[in-house]
Amino acid sequence: MQLNSLNELENWPYILKVNLILSIFFLILTFLFVGLVIALRILKNRREAHRAKFDAKLIDFFNHFMFDDDFEKAPELGDFKFNHLRSSYDHKLAIKQVLIFDENLKGESSAALRELFYGLGLYTFLVGDLKKKAWFKKARALYAFSRLGISVPQELVLPLIKSKKAEVRQQAMLYFLNTSKENPLSFLDELDVELSLWQQVFIENSLVNFDLEVPDFARWFNHDKSSVVIFCAKMVVSFNQFQNIPLLIDALDHTDAAVREQAINSLKIMEVPDALQLMSANFPYESPSNKRAILYAIKKIGTVKDLRTLAGYIHKEEENLQIDYYKVASGFDSEIPVHKLLNLDTITQDWPDYQNYAQRLLQGA
Amino acid sequence: MKSKILVIEDNPMVVKSLEFKLKKDGYEVVVAQDGRTAMKLLGETHFDLILTDLMLPFISGNEIIEFIKTEYPLIPVIVLSTSTQEDIITEAFTLGVDDFITKPFSPNELSLRVKRTLAKV
Repeated sequence: MQLNSLNELENWPYILKVNLILSIFFLILTFLFVGLVIALRILKNRREAHRAKFDAKLIDFFNHFMFDDDFEKAPELGDFKFNHLRSSYDHKLAIKQVLIFDENLKGESSAALRELFYGLGLYTFLVGDLKKKAWFKKARALYAFSRLGISVPQELVLPLIKSKKAEVRQQAMLYFLNTSKENPLSFLDELDVELSLWQQVFIENSLVNFDLEVPDFARWFNHDKSSVVIFCAKMVVSFNQFQNIPLLIDALDHTDAAVREQAINSLKIMEVPDALQLMSANFPYESPSNKRAILYAIKKIGTVKDLRTLAGYIHKEEENLQIDYYKVASGFDSEIPVHKLLNLDTITQDWPDYQNYAQRLLQGA
Repeated sequence: MKSKILVIEDNPMVVKSLEFKLKKDGYEVVVAQDGRTAMKLLGETHFDLILTDLMLPFISGNEIIEFIKTEYPLIPVIVLSTSTQEDIITEAFTLGVDDFITKPFSPNELSLRVKRTLAKV
Protein backbone atom coordinates (compact mmCIF):
# COMPACT_ATOMS: atom_id res chain seq x y z
CA MET A 1 0.00 0.00 0.00
CA GLN A 2 2.78 2.35 1.06
CA LEU A 3 4.82 1.31 -1.97
CA ASN A 4 1.86 2.08 -4.19
CA SER A 5 1.61 5.55 -2.69
CA LEU A 6 5.30 6.16 -3.27
CA ASN A 7 4.98 4.95 -6.86
CA GLU A 8 2.05 7.25 -7.31
CA LEU A 9 4.12 10.12 -5.91
CA GLU A 10 6.79 9.44 -8.50
CA ASN A 11 4.17 9.78 -11.20
CA TRP A 12 3.13 13.21 -9.93
CA PRO A 13 3.95 16.19 -12.13
CA TYR A 14 7.15 18.03 -11.24
CA ILE A 15 5.36 21.20 -10.07
CA LEU A 16 3.25 19.26 -7.58
CA LYS A 17 6.34 17.59 -6.15
CA VAL A 18 7.99 20.98 -5.61
CA ASN A 19 4.80 22.22 -4.05
CA LEU A 20 4.68 19.31 -1.64
CA ILE A 21 8.34 19.69 -0.64
CA LEU A 22 7.94 23.43 -0.04
CA SER A 23 4.77 22.85 2.01
CA ILE A 24 6.56 20.35 4.22
CA PHE A 25 9.55 22.70 4.54
CA PHE A 26 7.42 25.68 5.61
CA LEU A 27 5.40 23.52 7.98
CA ILE A 28 8.60 22.40 9.70
CA LEU A 29 9.81 26.01 9.74
CA THR A 30 6.55 27.13 11.38
CA PHE A 31 6.82 24.40 14.02
CA LEU A 32 10.42 25.36 14.70
CA PHE A 33 9.52 29.02 15.01
CA VAL A 34 6.60 28.37 17.35
CA GLY A 35 8.82 26.02 19.35
CA LEU A 36 11.50 28.68 19.58
CA VAL A 37 9.00 31.29 20.79
CA ILE A 38 7.69 28.90 23.45
CA ALA A 39 11.22 27.93 24.50
CA LEU A 40 12.24 31.59 24.82
CA ARG A 41 9.14 32.34 26.84
CA ILE A 42 9.82 29.42 29.19
CA LEU A 43 13.43 30.54 29.51
CA LYS A 44 12.31 34.08 30.30
CA ASN A 45 9.80 32.89 32.90
CA ARG A 46 12.41 30.68 34.52
CA ARG A 47 14.89 33.53 34.52
CA GLU A 48 12.35 35.89 36.09
CA ALA A 49 11.42 33.30 38.70
CA HIS A 50 15.11 32.81 39.48
CA ARG A 51 15.54 36.55 39.63
CA ALA A 52 12.65 37.08 42.06
CA LYS A 53 13.88 34.24 44.25
CA PHE A 54 17.47 35.41 44.12
CA ASP A 55 16.52 39.04 44.80
CA ALA A 56 14.62 37.94 47.90
CA LYS A 57 17.63 35.87 48.97
CA LEU A 58 19.99 38.80 48.41
CA ILE A 59 17.78 41.23 50.34
CA ASP A 60 17.52 38.77 53.20
CA PHE A 61 21.27 38.19 53.25
CA PHE A 62 22.06 41.92 53.04
CA ASN A 63 19.67 42.67 55.90
CA HIS A 64 21.24 40.02 58.09
CA PHE A 65 24.69 41.26 57.19
CA MET A 66 23.86 44.86 58.05
CA PHE A 67 21.46 44.64 60.96
CA ASP A 68 21.98 41.31 62.66
CA ASP A 69 24.58 41.55 65.40
CA ASP A 70 24.70 37.75 65.82
CA PHE A 71 25.47 37.21 62.15
CA GLU A 72 28.93 35.75 61.54
CA LYS A 73 29.90 37.96 58.67
CA ALA A 74 33.12 36.45 57.31
CA PRO A 75 32.02 32.78 57.05
CA GLU A 76 28.51 33.69 55.88
CA LEU A 77 29.94 35.95 53.20
CA GLY A 78 32.20 33.20 51.88
CA ASP A 79 29.37 30.71 52.03
CA PHE A 80 26.96 32.97 50.14
CA LYS A 81 29.54 33.78 47.51
CA PHE A 82 30.41 30.13 46.99
CA ASN A 83 26.87 28.76 46.97
CA HIS A 84 24.83 31.49 45.33
CA LEU A 85 26.98 33.75 43.18
CA ARG A 86 27.66 31.28 40.42
CA SER A 87 26.91 32.97 37.12
CA SER A 88 27.58 36.37 35.64
CA TYR A 89 23.81 36.99 35.86
CA ASP A 90 23.87 36.34 39.62
CA HIS A 91 26.69 38.87 39.98
CA LYS A 92 24.69 41.44 38.01
CA LEU A 93 21.65 40.90 40.23
CA ALA A 94 23.79 41.27 43.35
CA ILE A 95 25.29 44.52 42.03
CA LYS A 96 21.82 45.83 41.28
CA GLN A 97 20.67 45.08 44.81
CA VAL A 98 23.76 46.76 46.27
CA LEU A 99 22.90 49.87 44.24
CA ILE A 100 19.26 49.79 45.41
CA PHE A 101 20.37 49.48 49.03
CA ASP A 102 22.88 52.27 48.55
CA GLU A 103 20.17 54.50 47.11
CA ASN A 104 17.94 54.02 50.12
CA LEU A 105 20.28 53.67 53.06
CA LYS A 106 22.96 55.87 54.49
CA GLY A 107 25.15 56.12 57.56
CA GLU A 108 26.71 52.97 58.96
CA SER A 109 24.75 50.86 56.44
CA SER A 110 26.71 52.41 53.57
CA ALA A 111 29.97 51.20 55.06
CA ALA A 112 28.48 47.74 55.55
CA LEU A 113 27.31 47.74 51.93
CA ARG A 114 30.82 48.46 50.72
CA GLU A 115 32.09 45.62 52.87
CA LEU A 116 29.52 43.39 51.18
CA PHE A 117 30.49 44.69 47.77
CA TYR A 118 34.13 43.73 48.23
CA GLY A 119 33.37 40.56 50.18
CA LEU A 120 31.11 39.11 47.50
CA GLY A 121 33.74 39.72 44.84
CA LEU A 122 31.60 42.29 43.03
CA TYR A 123 34.53 44.72 42.84
CA THR A 124 36.67 42.11 41.04
CA PHE A 125 33.73 41.23 38.77
CA LEU A 126 33.23 44.86 37.73
CA VAL A 127 36.95 45.53 37.27
CA GLY A 128 36.87 42.54 34.92
CA ASP A 129 34.00 44.19 33.03
CA LEU A 130 36.05 47.38 32.69
CA LYS A 131 38.72 45.38 30.89
CA LYS A 132 36.27 43.72 28.51
CA LYS A 133 35.63 44.91 24.98
CA ALA A 134 31.86 45.33 25.19
CA TRP A 135 31.12 49.03 25.69
CA PHE A 136 27.93 48.40 27.67
CA LYS A 137 29.83 46.33 30.24
CA LYS A 138 32.31 49.16 30.71
CA ALA A 139 29.50 51.71 31.02
CA ARG A 140 27.69 49.53 33.55
CA ALA A 141 30.82 48.99 35.62
CA LEU A 142 31.62 52.71 35.63
CA TYR A 143 28.06 53.50 36.65
CA ALA A 144 28.24 51.12 39.61
CA PHE A 145 31.63 52.42 40.75
CA SER A 146 30.58 56.04 40.50
CA ARG A 147 27.26 55.45 42.28
CA LEU A 148 29.03 53.71 45.13
CA GLY A 149 31.94 56.18 45.10
CA ILE A 150 34.44 53.35 44.82
CA SER A 151 37.78 54.15 43.19
CA VAL A 152 39.53 51.84 40.76
CA PRO A 153 43.06 52.16 39.33
CA GLN A 154 43.09 55.31 37.23
CA GLU A 155 44.75 53.61 34.25
CA LEU A 156 41.56 51.60 33.81
CA VAL A 157 39.24 54.59 33.66
CA LEU A 158 41.31 57.36 32.09
CA PRO A 159 41.32 55.83 28.58
CA LEU A 160 37.53 55.54 28.73
CA ILE A 161 37.22 59.34 28.71
CA LYS A 162 38.30 59.04 25.07
CA SER A 163 35.96 56.16 24.26
CA LYS A 164 34.18 56.26 20.92
CA LYS A 165 30.91 55.51 22.71
CA ALA A 166 29.26 58.60 24.19
CA GLU A 167 27.64 56.47 26.92
CA VAL A 168 31.03 55.25 28.14
CA ARG A 169 32.50 58.77 28.07
CA GLN A 170 29.51 60.04 30.02
CA GLN A 171 29.84 57.34 32.68
CA ALA A 172 33.60 57.91 32.91
CA MET A 173 32.92 61.60 33.59
CA LEU A 174 30.36 60.67 36.22
CA TYR A 175 32.93 58.36 37.77
CA PHE A 176 35.53 61.11 38.05
CA LEU A 177 32.97 63.57 39.40
CA ASN A 178 31.84 61.13 42.07
CA THR A 179 35.12 59.65 43.14
CA SER A 180 37.80 62.30 42.68
CA LYS A 181 38.88 63.81 45.95
CA GLU A 182 41.21 66.54 44.65
CA ASN A 183 40.06 67.69 41.24
CA PRO A 184 36.78 66.24 39.97
CA LEU A 185 37.31 67.79 36.54
CA SER A 186 40.82 66.47 35.92
CA PHE A 187 39.37 64.32 33.13
CA LEU A 188 38.95 67.46 31.02
CA ASP A 189 42.74 67.44 30.46
CA GLU A 190 42.39 64.10 28.71
CA LEU A 191 39.35 64.95 26.64
CA ASP A 192 39.96 64.86 22.90
CA VAL A 193 36.35 65.00 21.74
CA GLU A 194 33.94 67.89 22.10
CA LEU A 195 31.78 68.14 25.22
CA SER A 196 28.13 67.96 24.26
CA LEU A 197 25.71 70.50 25.65
CA TRP A 198 24.06 67.74 27.64
CA GLN A 199 27.41 66.75 29.17
CA GLN A 200 28.10 70.37 30.07
CA VAL A 201 24.77 70.64 31.85
CA PHE A 202 25.41 67.31 33.54
CA ILE A 203 28.85 68.37 34.85
CA GLU A 204 27.53 71.70 36.08
CA ASN A 205 24.69 69.94 37.83
CA SER A 206 27.14 67.57 39.49
CA LEU A 207 29.29 70.45 40.68
CA VAL A 208 26.26 72.12 42.23
CA ASN A 209 24.62 69.04 43.73
CA PHE A 210 27.47 66.76 44.71
CA ASP A 211 29.11 69.18 47.08
CA LEU A 212 32.37 68.97 45.15
CA GLU A 213 35.19 71.44 45.43
CA VAL A 214 34.82 73.73 42.44
CA PRO A 215 38.10 73.96 40.54
CA ASP A 216 39.59 77.10 39.03
CA PHE A 217 38.39 77.01 35.43
CA ALA A 218 41.42 79.05 34.26
CA ARG A 219 43.18 75.71 33.80
CA TRP A 220 41.17 74.83 30.68
CA PHE A 221 40.90 78.17 28.91
CA ASN A 222 43.58 77.06 26.44
CA HIS A 223 42.01 73.65 25.83
CA ASP A 224 42.11 72.32 22.25
CA LYS A 225 38.39 71.69 22.24
CA SER A 226 36.24 74.79 21.90
CA SER A 227 33.36 73.20 23.81
CA VAL A 228 35.60 72.87 26.88
CA VAL A 229 36.55 76.56 26.69
CA ILE A 230 32.87 77.47 26.24
CA PHE A 231 31.99 75.36 29.25
CA CYS A 232 34.70 77.06 31.32
CA ALA A 233 33.47 80.51 30.23
CA LYS A 234 29.99 79.53 31.45
CA MET A 235 31.29 78.12 34.72
CA VAL A 236 33.30 81.28 35.47
CA VAL A 237 29.91 83.01 35.60
CA SER A 238 28.09 80.22 37.45
CA PHE A 239 30.68 80.09 40.22
CA ASN A 240 31.55 83.81 40.29
CA GLN A 241 35.22 83.33 39.46
CA PHE A 242 35.92 87.02 39.00
CA GLN A 243 39.66 86.34 39.00
CA ASN A 244 39.18 84.80 35.54
CA ILE A 245 37.70 87.91 33.91
CA PRO A 246 41.01 88.67 32.08
CA LEU A 247 40.80 85.20 30.51
CA LEU A 248 37.25 85.91 29.35
CA ILE A 249 38.45 89.16 27.77
CA ASP A 250 41.24 87.25 26.01
CA ALA A 251 38.63 84.78 24.76
CA LEU A 252 37.03 87.65 22.79
CA ASP A 253 39.89 87.13 20.31
CA HIS A 254 39.48 83.34 20.16
CA THR A 255 39.56 81.79 16.69
CA ASP A 256 36.21 80.02 17.26
CA ALA A 257 33.17 82.30 16.93
CA ALA A 258 31.18 80.17 19.41
CA VAL A 259 33.83 80.72 22.09
CA ARG A 260 33.80 84.47 21.41
CA GLU A 261 30.00 84.48 21.70
CA GLN A 262 30.11 82.75 25.08
CA ALA A 263 32.83 85.15 26.25
CA ILE A 264 30.64 88.11 25.25
CA ASN A 265 27.66 86.66 27.10
CA SER A 266 29.70 85.80 30.19
CA LEU A 267 31.24 89.28 30.32
CA LYS A 268 27.76 90.76 29.91
CA ILE A 269 26.38 88.74 32.83
CA MET A 270 29.40 89.55 34.99
CA GLU A 271 28.98 93.20 34.02
CA VAL A 272 32.50 94.02 32.85
CA PRO A 273 32.32 97.36 30.99
CA ASP A 274 36.08 97.26 30.38
CA ALA A 275 35.46 94.52 27.84
CA LEU A 276 33.23 96.74 25.69
CA GLN A 277 36.16 98.48 24.02
CA LEU A 278 37.47 95.20 22.60
CA MET A 279 33.96 94.01 21.72
CA SER A 280 33.32 97.23 19.79
CA ALA A 281 36.68 96.99 18.03
CA ASN A 282 35.86 93.42 16.96
CA PHE A 283 32.27 94.25 15.97
CA PRO A 284 32.87 94.93 12.24
CA TYR A 285 34.54 91.52 11.78
CA GLU A 286 32.18 89.49 13.90
CA SER A 287 29.57 86.93 12.79
CA PRO A 288 25.93 88.14 12.80
CA SER A 289 25.13 86.23 15.99
CA ASN A 290 28.16 87.68 17.77
CA LYS A 291 27.24 91.18 16.57
CA ARG A 292 23.84 90.61 18.10
CA ALA A 293 25.42 89.41 21.35
CA ILE A 294 27.57 92.55 21.44
CA LEU A 295 24.52 94.78 20.92
CA TYR A 296 22.81 93.16 23.90
CA ALA A 297 25.99 93.39 25.96
CA ILE A 298 25.96 97.12 25.30
CA LYS A 299 22.31 97.23 26.31
CA LYS A 300 23.24 95.80 29.70
CA ILE A 301 26.64 97.32 30.46
CA GLY A 302 27.23 100.02 27.88
CA THR A 303 25.94 103.44 26.97
CA VAL A 304 24.11 104.94 24.04
CA LYS A 305 27.47 106.36 22.95
CA ASP A 306 28.89 102.83 22.67
CA LEU A 307 25.89 101.84 20.60
CA ARG A 308 26.22 104.76 18.21
CA THR A 309 29.80 103.88 17.35
CA LEU A 310 28.56 100.58 15.94
CA ALA A 311 25.80 101.98 13.73
CA GLY A 312 28.05 102.33 10.73
CA TYR A 313 29.02 98.68 10.84
CA ILE A 314 25.51 97.33 10.51
CA HIS A 315 24.87 96.84 6.85
CA LYS A 316 21.59 97.53 5.18
CA GLU A 317 21.10 93.90 4.27
CA GLU A 318 21.49 92.83 7.91
CA GLU A 319 17.86 93.40 8.66
CA ASN A 320 17.61 91.24 11.77
CA LEU A 321 20.57 93.03 13.25
CA GLN A 322 18.94 96.36 12.47
CA ILE A 323 15.88 95.26 14.39
CA ASP A 324 18.08 94.24 17.32
CA TYR A 325 19.82 97.60 17.09
CA TYR A 326 16.43 99.28 17.20
CA LYS A 327 15.38 97.26 20.23
CA VAL A 328 18.59 98.08 22.09
CA ALA A 329 18.35 101.75 21.08
CA SER A 330 14.76 101.99 22.29
CA GLY A 331 15.95 100.58 25.61
CA PHE A 332 18.20 103.57 26.08
CA ASP A 333 15.19 105.79 25.44
CA SER A 334 17.34 108.02 23.31
CA GLU A 335 16.82 109.67 19.95
CA ILE A 336 18.82 107.38 17.78
CA PRO A 337 19.03 108.54 14.20
CA VAL A 338 17.80 105.21 12.94
CA HIS A 339 16.77 106.71 9.61
CA LYS A 340 20.44 106.98 8.80
CA LEU A 341 20.96 103.36 9.52
CA LEU A 342 17.90 101.43 8.51
CA ASN A 343 16.70 100.49 5.11
CA LEU A 344 12.97 101.05 5.29
CA ASP A 345 12.34 99.68 1.83
CA THR A 346 13.62 96.24 2.56
CA ILE A 347 12.76 95.79 6.20
CA THR A 348 10.11 93.20 6.77
CA GLN A 349 6.49 94.26 6.98
CA ASP A 350 5.96 91.95 9.95
CA TRP A 351 7.26 94.54 12.34
CA PRO A 352 4.59 97.25 12.54
CA ASP A 353 5.93 98.36 15.87
CA TYR A 354 9.30 98.94 14.32
CA GLN A 355 7.72 100.69 11.35
CA ASN A 356 5.88 103.10 13.61
CA TYR A 357 8.95 103.80 15.67
CA ALA A 358 11.12 104.42 12.65
CA GLN A 359 8.48 106.56 10.95
CA ARG A 360 8.04 108.64 14.09
CA LEU A 361 11.75 109.26 14.29
CA LEU A 362 11.93 110.13 10.64
CA GLN A 363 9.12 112.63 10.99
CA GLY A 364 10.76 114.13 14.03
CA ALA A 365 14.14 114.34 12.34
CA MET B 1 3.28 43.80 74.83
CA LYS B 2 4.97 44.51 71.52
CA SER B 3 4.08 47.78 69.79
CA LYS B 4 2.48 47.21 66.41
CA ILE B 5 3.80 49.23 63.47
CA LEU B 6 2.16 49.57 60.07
CA VAL B 7 4.67 50.12 57.29
CA ILE B 8 3.15 51.57 54.09
CA GLU B 9 5.81 51.28 51.40
CA ASP B 10 5.96 49.85 47.88
CA ASN B 11 9.71 49.39 47.46
CA PRO B 12 10.40 45.71 48.28
CA MET B 13 13.94 46.39 49.41
CA VAL B 14 12.91 49.16 51.80
CA VAL B 15 9.99 47.06 53.06
CA LYS B 16 12.25 44.10 53.83
CA SER B 17 14.88 46.25 55.51
CA LEU B 18 12.34 48.11 57.64
CA GLU B 19 10.63 44.89 58.57
CA PHE B 20 13.93 43.27 59.51
CA LYS B 21 15.24 46.21 61.48
CA LEU B 22 12.00 46.95 63.33
CA LYS B 23 11.44 43.30 64.20
CA LYS B 24 15.01 43.19 65.51
CA ASP B 25 14.11 46.16 67.69
CA GLY B 26 11.23 44.18 69.15
CA TYR B 27 8.23 45.57 67.29
CA GLU B 28 5.48 43.73 65.51
CA VAL B 29 5.47 44.83 61.88
CA VAL B 30 2.64 44.71 59.37
CA VAL B 31 3.30 45.76 55.76
CA ALA B 32 0.94 47.36 53.26
CA GLN B 33 2.31 47.93 49.80
CA ASP B 34 -0.31 50.50 48.83
CA GLY B 35 -2.81 52.92 50.33
CA ARG B 36 -5.89 50.77 49.79
CA THR B 37 -4.42 47.83 51.70
CA ALA B 38 -3.29 50.21 54.43
CA MET B 39 -6.82 51.62 54.87
CA LYS B 40 -8.23 48.10 55.00
CA LEU B 41 -5.67 47.04 57.62
CA LEU B 42 -6.35 50.15 59.70
CA GLY B 43 -10.00 49.18 59.87
CA GLU B 44 -9.15 45.67 61.05
CA THR B 45 -6.30 46.12 63.51
CA HIS B 46 -5.05 48.67 65.98
CA PHE B 47 -1.60 50.09 65.29
CA ASP B 48 0.67 52.02 67.63
CA LEU B 49 2.57 53.80 64.86
CA ILE B 50 2.43 54.23 61.10
CA LEU B 51 5.47 54.57 58.91
CA THR B 52 4.54 55.68 55.41
CA ASP B 53 6.04 56.69 52.09
CA LEU B 54 4.46 59.57 50.16
CA MET B 55 4.68 58.16 46.64
CA LEU B 56 2.39 55.17 46.67
CA PRO B 57 0.20 53.37 44.15
CA PHE B 58 -3.57 54.06 44.02
CA ILE B 59 -3.73 56.52 46.93
CA SER B 60 -1.04 59.08 47.67
CA GLY B 61 0.76 59.28 50.99
CA ASN B 62 -0.83 62.64 51.77
CA GLU B 63 -4.31 61.22 51.27
CA ILE B 64 -3.49 58.36 53.62
CA ILE B 65 -2.13 60.77 56.22
CA GLU B 66 -5.30 62.86 55.95
CA PHE B 67 -7.40 59.71 56.37
CA ILE B 68 -5.38 58.55 59.39
CA LYS B 69 -5.46 61.95 61.06
CA THR B 70 -9.24 62.15 60.59
CA GLU B 71 -10.16 58.58 61.49
CA TYR B 72 -7.36 57.65 63.91
CA PRO B 73 -5.95 60.94 65.22
CA LEU B 74 -4.14 59.31 68.12
CA ILE B 75 -1.88 57.09 65.99
CA PRO B 76 1.46 58.80 65.37
CA VAL B 77 2.68 58.94 61.76
CA ILE B 78 6.24 59.07 60.51
CA VAL B 79 6.87 59.83 56.85
CA LEU B 80 9.73 58.16 55.03
CA SER B 81 10.21 59.82 51.68
CA THR B 82 12.79 60.64 49.01
CA SER B 83 11.42 64.14 48.80
CA THR B 84 13.54 66.92 50.25
CA GLN B 85 11.39 69.74 48.89
CA GLU B 86 10.42 72.20 51.58
CA ASP B 87 6.80 72.54 50.44
CA ILE B 88 6.23 68.77 50.54
CA ILE B 89 7.74 68.47 54.03
CA THR B 90 5.75 71.49 55.22
CA GLU B 91 2.54 70.04 53.79
CA ALA B 92 3.15 66.74 55.58
CA PHE B 93 3.65 68.49 58.92
CA THR B 94 0.58 70.64 58.26
CA LEU B 95 -1.40 67.42 57.85
CA GLY B 96 -0.20 66.43 61.28
CA VAL B 97 2.66 63.95 60.82
CA ASP B 98 4.89 63.47 63.83
CA ASP B 99 8.20 63.10 62.03
CA PHE B 100 9.69 63.21 58.54
CA ILE B 101 12.64 61.07 57.49
CA THR B 102 14.24 61.51 54.09
CA LYS B 103 15.67 58.70 51.97
CA PRO B 104 18.41 57.63 51.91
CA PHE B 105 17.90 57.00 55.60
CA SER B 106 20.01 55.60 58.37
CA PRO B 107 18.27 52.53 59.85
CA ASN B 108 19.71 53.24 63.29
CA GLU B 109 18.45 56.81 63.21
CA LEU B 110 15.04 55.58 62.09
CA SER B 111 15.05 53.17 64.99
CA LEU B 112 15.68 55.98 67.45
CA ARG B 113 13.00 58.16 65.92
CA VAL B 114 10.44 55.36 66.08
CA LYS B 115 11.35 54.75 69.72
CA ARG B 116 11.08 58.45 70.56
CA THR B 117 7.73 58.85 68.76
CA LEU B 118 6.27 55.80 70.53
CA ALA B 119 7.51 57.11 73.87
CA LYS B 120 5.55 60.31 73.36
CA VAL B 121 2.25 58.46 72.93
